[in-house]
Amino acid sequence: MSETRFSATEKDLLQELMNIGFGQAAADLAQVIGLSIKLSIPDIQLFKTCELSRHMTEEMDGEQEFSLIEQYFLGKFQGIALLALPARSGKKLVTLFGLQDQCNWSSENLAMLEKEAMIEVGNILIGACVGKITELLNDVVLYSPPRMRIQDVRDSNLPNNLFAPGSLAISLKTVFHFERKKITGQLFLIANQDSIAWLKTALNAFMEQYE
Amino acid sequence: MIFKQIADMISMGLLVLDEDLNVHFWNRWMALHSNITADEIVGKPLFDFFPDLNEPNFLRNCRSVFTFGNFAFFSQKLHRYLFPFRPAYSDRTPFDFMQQSCTMGPIRSSDNRVQYLFLSVSDVTEVANYEEQLVEMNRKDALTGIYNRRFFETSLQQEFKRSLRHGRALSLIMIDLDYFKRVNDLHGHQVGDDALRAFAAAVHSRLRESDLLARYGGEEFACLLPETNGPAARTLAEELRRMTEETRWVCREVELRLTISVGVAESRPEMGGFEILLKKADDALYAAKAGRNRVICYN
Repeated sequence: MSETRFSATEKDLLQELMNIGFGQAAADLAQVIGLSIKLSIPDIQLFKTCELSRHMTEEMDGEQEFSLIEQYFLGKFQGIALLALPARSGKKLVTLFGLQDQCNWSSENLAMLEKEAMIEVGNILIGACVGKITELLNDVVLYSPPRMRIQDVRDSNLPNNLFAPGSLAISLKTVFHFERKKITGQLFLIANQDSIAWLKTALNAFMEQYE
Repeated sequence: MIFKQIADMISMGLLVLDEDLNVHFWNRWMALHSNITADEIVGKPLFDFFPDLNEPNFLRNCRSVFTFGNFAFFSQKLHRYLFPFRPAYSDRTPFDFMQQSCTMGPIRSSDNRVQYLFLSVSDVTEVANYEEQLVEMNRKDALTGIYNRRFFETSLQQEFKRSLRHGRALSLIMIDLDYFKRVNDLHGHQVGDDALRAFAAAVHSRLRESDLLARYGGEEFACLLPETNGPAARTLAEELRRMTEETRWVCREVELRLTISVGVAESRPEMGGFEILLKKADDALYAAKAGRNRVICYN
């Protein structure tokens, strides 16, 4: 298990790298969606795969109702991205993305439109953050189509195909805030144990560039 | 060479765009379905041929691919299609255009810069068609073809909320065919089934497009009437009662005389929930059934 532990220096380095990555992601996002977004300093935590529900319960505000978007990313860095948006933010996002102009949308379908707006914001945010981290560490990942998660993540496990039972997972969390729309949410990038080992190697390679 | 052949033989659309959104590659599938050859379109702006794509959503996704190598997914549910092609393999599809699920992603140069974007286009018309049929089957009553109880209750809930929010009228009519068990017992279930179908069709033809008719139970029906106040709902209920009584119902050469008992209720803000409106209409129906062939309004 030793190869999956982070030294204090490695953790600081990862933190720093994510700061750079998310800083660039925020700048790119502003350019892509034409709206300024703030991403908080990322919080890094290691936990056992089977402890996802405990981890998420601790990290998320139990009082607030969330809509969760999930998307898999596959590469040397692989896992699942979970984006928690306030349940009622769909309407604001529909106008943000100009989706209300889509033709043939009856009021019955508005709920689906809101859902799609949340999925789209999820796709862009997740892509920006995962893309930047992996770009800095010289990896390219593929993504599954994002989808709205039906099951409450605080009451479920990580998918077995990516997260072996009993293995470790790493969670990189950032809080994001769309300033003009006053929407705040949380993004969790949860990568599997293989990714942790790769992260350590990639971080060391990254450091060597500057040594 | 092999990859070029694969790209041309594969049963999906593939195109590549450069940073200025000029077409760099256009596979045979795209050529066949668009009637635009690669020679005609390669090197030219995509929007010259497909101007409808020049809109914020498409542009935003192109930018996200070039800016951070992202993937973008254009689901059939939201977009229906990106390229207006005719449905290819089915003449029974309800869609005017081929339904598509599209994915956009980066193509990088050797120095890892995103140089192009690819767009793959899958024809999902058949799947979308099946899905629509399934949704419809899930909403409809198999015997009469009108809506079923589940869909009715979901709609009632939504309409009740809407009427409260906008302060608009909403009424509910519950109908029960009087002594219907006798029809089944005397003439058999086939005649009974035909009578239910004919009755549902007759009521349906007297409703507006915005009204919703559902089979609530065996011989019980419900009409949801948005933008309709109590007196107007009562008038309609009375009309339905008279129509039923006066019609000569002929089912499988058996002439039937039918009557209905009808309960009417109008939504009120103080009701608090749709269940109360349902209960009031049901109470009124219960009262109407005490005498049969009459309309009772919940007061």
